[in-house]
Amino acid sequence: MRRAPWLALLPLLAGLAHGEDDVRFGRDVQPLLARHCLHCHGPDGEAREADLRLDTRDGLFAEGSDGRIVVPGNPAASELIRRITSDDPDTRMPPAEAKKPLTAEQIDTLRKWVSAGAEWEGHWAFVPPQRPTPPTSKFDEVARNPVDRFVLTRLEKAGLSPSPVASRERLIRRVSLDLTGTPPTPEEVDAFLAEDSPDAYERLVDRLLASPRYGERTAIEWLDAARYADTSGYQFDGPRDMWRWRDWVVEALNANQPFDEFSTEQLAGDLLPNATLDQRIATGFNRNHRGNSEGGIVPEEFAVEYVVDRIDTTATVWLGLTLGCARCHDHKYDPVSQREYYQLFDYFNDVPEHGRAIKEGNSPPYVTAPTRLQQDRFAALADRWNVAQVNWGNVEPDAAHEWQMWEKTVDPTKLAPWTIDDGLVAAVSFDGTIENTVEDAPAAKSTGEITFTDGPRGRAGLFDGDSFVDAGDVAGFEYRDPFTVTAWVKPEESASGGVVSRMSDDVYSDGWALHVENGRVQGLFVKRWLDDSLRVEAVDPLEPGVWQHVALTYDGSRSAAGVRLFVDGEERKLRVLLDALNQSFASDEPLRIGSTGTKRRFEGAIADVRVFERVLDERVAPELQVLSVAEPIGELVRGRERTRAQAVKSFQYFLRVAGPGKYRERLANAEKATRALIEFEASLPTVMVMEQLAESRPAFVLKRGEYDKPGERVEAGVPTALSESTNRAPGRDRLGLARWLFDPRHPLTARVAVNREWQRFFGRGIVETTEDFGTQGTPPTHPELLDWLATEFVRTGWNVKRLHRLIVTSATYRQAAAVTPALLERDPANRLLARGPRFRLPAEVVRDQALAAAGLLVERVGGPSVKPYQPEGLWAEIASTKTYERSDGPDLYRRSLYSYVKRTVANPAMSVFDATTRESCLVRRTRTNTPLQSLALQNGTTYVEAARVLAQRSLALDDPADRLQWMFRRVLVRRPTNRELSILTGALDAHREHFAEHREAARELVRVGDAAVPDATDPVELAAHTAVASLILNLDEAVTP
Amino acid sequence: MTPTDTRRSFLTRTSTALGTAALATLLGRDVAVAGHRQPEDGLHHTARAKRVIYLFQSGGPSQLDLFDHKPGLVDRQGQDLPASIRMGQRLTGMTATQDAFPVAASTFRFARHGESGLELSELLPHTAKVADELCLVKSLHTTAINHDPAITFLQTGAQLAGRPSVGAWLDYGLGSENEDLPAYVAMVSGSGGQPLYDRLWGSGFLPSRYQGVKFRSVGDPVPFLSNPPGVDAGTRRRFLDDLRALNELGLESIGDPEIATRVAQYELAFRMQSSVPELTDLSAEPKHVFEAYGEDARKPGTFAHNCLLARRLAERGVRFVQLFHRGWDQHRHLPRDIAKQCADTDQASAALVADLKNRGLLDDTLVVWGGEFGRTVYCQGALTRDDYGRDHHPRCFSVWMAGGGVRGGHVHGKTDDFGYNVVENPVHVHDFHATLLHLLGIDHERLTFPFQGRDFRLTDVHGNVVDSLLANRRTT
Repeated sequence: MRRAPWLALLPLLAGLAHGEDDVRFGRDVQPLLARHCLHCHGPDGEAREADLRLDTRDGLFAEGSDGRIVVPGNPAASELIRRITSDDPDTRMPPAEAKKPLTAEQIDTLRKWVSAGAEWEGHWAFVPPQRPTPPTSKFDEVARNPVDRFVLTRLEKAGLSPSPVASRERLIRRVSLDLTGTPPTPEEVDAFLAEDSPDAYERLVDRLLASPRYGERTAIEWLDAARYADTSGYQFDGPRDMWRWRDWVVEALNANQPFDEFSTEQLAGDLLPNATLDQRIATGFNRNHRGNSEGGIVPEEFAVEYVVDRIDTTATVWLGLTLGCARCHDHKYDPVSQREYYQLFDYFNDVPEHGRAIKEGNSPPYVTAPTRLQQDRFAALADRWNVAQVNWGNVEPDAAHEWQMWEKTVDPTKLAPWTIDDGLVAAVSFDGTIENTVEDAPAAKSTGEITFTDGPRGRAGLFDGDSFVDAGDVAGFEYRDPFTVTAWVKPEESASGGVVSRMSDDVYSDGWALHVENGRVQGLFVKRWLDDSLRVEAVDPLEPGVWQHVALTYDGSRSAAGVRLFVDGEERKLRVLLDALNQSFASDEPLRIGSTGTKRRFEGAIADVRVFERVLDERVAPELQVLSVAEPIGELVRGRERTRAQAVKSFQYFLRVAGPGKYRERLANAEKATRALIEFEASLPTVMVMEQLAESRPAFVLKRGEYDKPGERVEAGVPTALSESTNRAPGRDRLGLARWLFDPRHPLTARVAVNREWQRFFGRGIVETTEDFGTQGTPPTHPELLDWLATEFVRTGWNVKRLHRLIVTSATYRQAAAVTPALLERDPANRLLARGPRFRLPAEVVRDQALAAAGLLVERVGGPSVKPYQPEGLWAEIASTKTYERSDGPDLYRRSLYSYVKRTVANPAMSVFDATTRESCLVRRTRTNTPLQSLALQNGTTYVEAARVLAQRSLALDDPADRLQWMFRRVLVRRPTNRELSILTGALDAHREHFAEHREAARELVRVGDAAVPDATDPVELAAHTAVASLILNLDEAVTP
Repeated sequence: MTPTDTRRSFLTRTSTALGTAALATLLGRDVAVAGHRQPEDGLHHTARAKRVIYLFQSGGPSQLDLFDHKPGLVDRQGQDLPASIRMGQRLTGMTATQDAFPVAASTFRFARHGESGLELSELLPHTAKVADELCLVKSLHTTAINHDPAITFLQTGAQLAGRPSVGAWLDYGLGSENEDLPAYVAMVSGSGGQPLYDRLWGSGFLPSRYQGVKFRSVGDPVPFLSNPPGVDAGTRRRFLDDLRALNELGLESIGDPEIATRVAQYELAFRMQSSVPELTDLSAEPKHVFEAYGEDARKPGTFAHNCLLARRLAERGVRFVQLFHRGWDQHRHLPRDIAKQCADTDQASAALVADLKNRGLLDDTLVVWGGEFGRTVYCQGALTRDDYGRDHHPRCFSVWMAGGGVRGGHVHGKTDDFGYNVVENPVHVHDFHATLLHLLGIDHERLTFPFQGRDFRLTDVHGNVVDSLLANRRTT
């Protein structure tokens, strides 16, 4: 697991950094001061010792207590030099306890700088880039665009030469994988090889940039930066739905949306005038952070963490700064004060969100975000609904007329009782006996004596607080189930107690109840009082001593918005007492009538309890009104004073039972269309978004960064050191912040962005610390190139595809990657780019390449995340969420971009190749080379299956001699050399011989994976070819183009 | 940053502070892929422990029912927790809204054990037999009050995700003594209870090679370890020989040393294919071992089984073995459930300590037993004579350590009469980490990694080594 070749190179690397003789402040001196001195003598006013700062020009050249700190040209007179060279441990700096001693060489650097005149310069990254003129060098004839002139000049200075251009085969493979994440097909390769026009390569690049695969590949780094995932992270790590945001990214990248717009919409799309749905979806960027749903947390604590995450992410992605330090105190190294940190806080604080996240699903605020297809489908359903409504409306007057005629003529005595029973799971009557009339329902039994009394109709149960009815294990709903509970009640004065419930007695009280408290109807849904429960109450109390019909509906939405209460068929105004339900309330308790749990018993009479496993929805049909009428239909049809509900019941009976079929059909169509619309809307994906609170929430400096220690109040703003050069003053909201970031004089935004893109193609940024352009970051290897690219990016309107084209069509990118021992010794990490890029593919591309080479890749852009192969039982082992339900069919073979990301349990096939956990923003992945990678490629189902399918397809070739070549080219693009071919042939023969003797083993091997094996295939031949295909997929060159 | 560079910056940054011997050891490890290291060890000073077995008890075991005896509570049973004790400190949202905070005395008896007279609950009869080996810290305290931040804090020194775990730091700082096995192995047991997360054994911002490898009890212990069906060892060997030949051709034409590294990784993977099954095969363990650890040790996925594997890993020089046993989150029915938890863990924990001692491994193996926080003295939910629940309690909790240079039969720290606040010798999680690293020969202030513009360490900017936990160094 260890490697060492770099060890011998340490001195050479040092030589690379300090090869030049001149000492420069920014490159050589400032980093030393930052690392060894600024902790106590830097921007942090609280920690500053001896009132001395070495991070500013004024501080460095100030008069200290024992003389000037730095006297240009005179080390001996400079206090700085005296202190770092003093023999007296009390005087010597840095002090021993700081454990940051300077080496002799470092002291020498400082002395040289002072001797040479102590030229000072501000930190390069905080000064806006000036567009440099591309320099010239003796290699200029190699240059294809200005990028190369900077690189070649640097090479010349270092005494190195560029490498020759890579072969066309290697080039098409490299650029295809880099731009689209998939290898070229042999046909595409042949076409490219055959083309002899001078711009064949450029045209290839244009084709790749136009492919929809481009956006899918380009999104990978952005998803890392945006900490995109399919779960919420933290303890429970429940599912969330952010894929609509992910698809927005892919679409925007494919459409080549300019980077300033792309960014502005993600930071502040909701604040744009007349924001579109897409612009609101874009703001999901800053809702991708983790959310904590753990029971018992202090919500305020995590509400602060979410804002902090947004600041840190935004700063890393657009400013290339790590501001986290300034959360607790002034930044030690960069000019950002704690106060300024909380000014940034103010931008991201005004979101109507709650610190405790929703356990399963999206946390507010979120929007319904239909895909374009779904928007079309919705429009079609709405059209159908309109037609059905019109069709019904056209006949309704006739139906009403006919109904009136029917009422006059029908014989009421012949009308059987009728009510609503679709979806009924319990119907308990008290008409002299206690009985659940639903078929196969368990018996309902009283726990004690229940007397009967007159009901709204027939008899009712009289509950005096001594007993209740146990109706057994029915209506065991959990919090995603829609349901309805209805009953007739005649409460005592200010009655309290349960009407119908499934709930336990202790503080955890799991369950639900239709309950009366102090004479008011309530709906209770409880996992744990009071922090995990939902309680709503009708504002107006029930009338004591009078029969009333009460109903509770719950739509499974887990929020108070999904609960309604009705009295006598009329919806009542609600008061929300608790709206914090976050776990299923499924309960082992039986259905009880007359008590919530066993203790909170109802006092009064109850009759005709009904429970439905659906929402009786007034938008569809007036079913609750029908239920609120106790009189049987026979008593309602004669012309006398009727309530509205009674008339409704009679009319509904006519339409649904007694009347002619022509009405029934149209009514059913209208209802069906309504229901379809409601159900479709409920099925649409949502996405979490940024929204602005109507009334701004004040921001405070938080002492030591703690949520409960507010200090001085602050207003939105950006760090002064970064806004000195910009034309525009930053606005007070997120939109203003976004506009400021894209001010053309901004020192960081463009540099940070182009550097990240450079890193994608060369494996390393011009500034290696992609996430840190501050004083602790690494200085750029090619500062002028970085500035030229940054200004070019702005000049071309932040055109991302154009930037990518510029990079991949450069001669620098097109160089061969082969390296000589001499060059390796000079520049092992290829910082100076005397050769082409060569580094292991990202995890996603490793997998996608294998699927594509095998012809298994299913290319469908977008949609909910899919679940490819992963070792069984991984989730169940450590997580409390459901088990991993692997996808079937085409979804097993989608681009890895679409694979489900669970933050607390990674798919090892991805994580071993350094895929990120997405717990926080990351703009630079580590790249390792480990035995677990070898195991995944040799034994993982994905790769064994890909090898087998690749082999299977090779067997279809007529000439057996072509097969190995063909497989090799599918993966590596180039043709094998003779030596390679002879090894492959030898391998094939050996495996064939082995499997011929072990036919069962061959059968087992070729059965790995879901992809079908054609019946006629010879398992021995297929297994032998599979082994060779696997060999090819395992080559270093396969994962490192 | 590539691993190459991070290793380099680690070395260049610490090289001035390191003795040449330690540096040579470090270099030696990276060069000699297969060779075992010499035993002098220690990165900054001589190590007392060479490896750690951390028996993490996830959910928050109740210190009041296991370790921190408060006999005076019996007389206060049911009384409201005095405000002078609670001092307005925050509670979790689960009990903050309770009307009252009635004191719940433990229903379990305590007794003194061993020569040291260490006091333990009757729930831990086996642990009592190794009492003289234990260094019991009663005054550990943490900042977090909920599981995720608290366990993340114990594991990484920070409440939020993103930092490397203790084991990853050790791997980064000390590397492995056995190149055929991962340096950091995690194992989980106990169904239900609080979930666990990859980040608990993750590498945070360190290169991913330092992350713990979770050995699984079902399927392959290490992901993708087994050859696919139909591929036997001979076929795999032939495959690897061909692969090596082809990769060497690639190395010849491209010259990138990373290719040589990859060849070495395939060979190492091949060795793991035999070393891991050999490790997890308990068939050669004699009967008395199962008698000691308990019959559960035969069942993969149990705590006892994992304890036995931990000993085998320690024997093979694995640097950091961490068991995570779930199920200690007893908000309700604590007396019933904690007894069950102890039945699952007590015997094997004690057997591990005794077994290590018998094999002469305890001297340089540090064993740690403890959770992410303690539990409240007041009852959560309904209090009855023999039933109660306890909420999360960060202000004090107990852990024990054994072997690896800690003082046996020693109690450190004291809590008040309610077991609510620390009154003597508090040990913060950062101090605990500093001490742990110290025992392994690491100065916690000097094991650093540059990330996001600053040098990060396990203990952030805090932590003091707790000297009184350390055993007197033997003079041999």
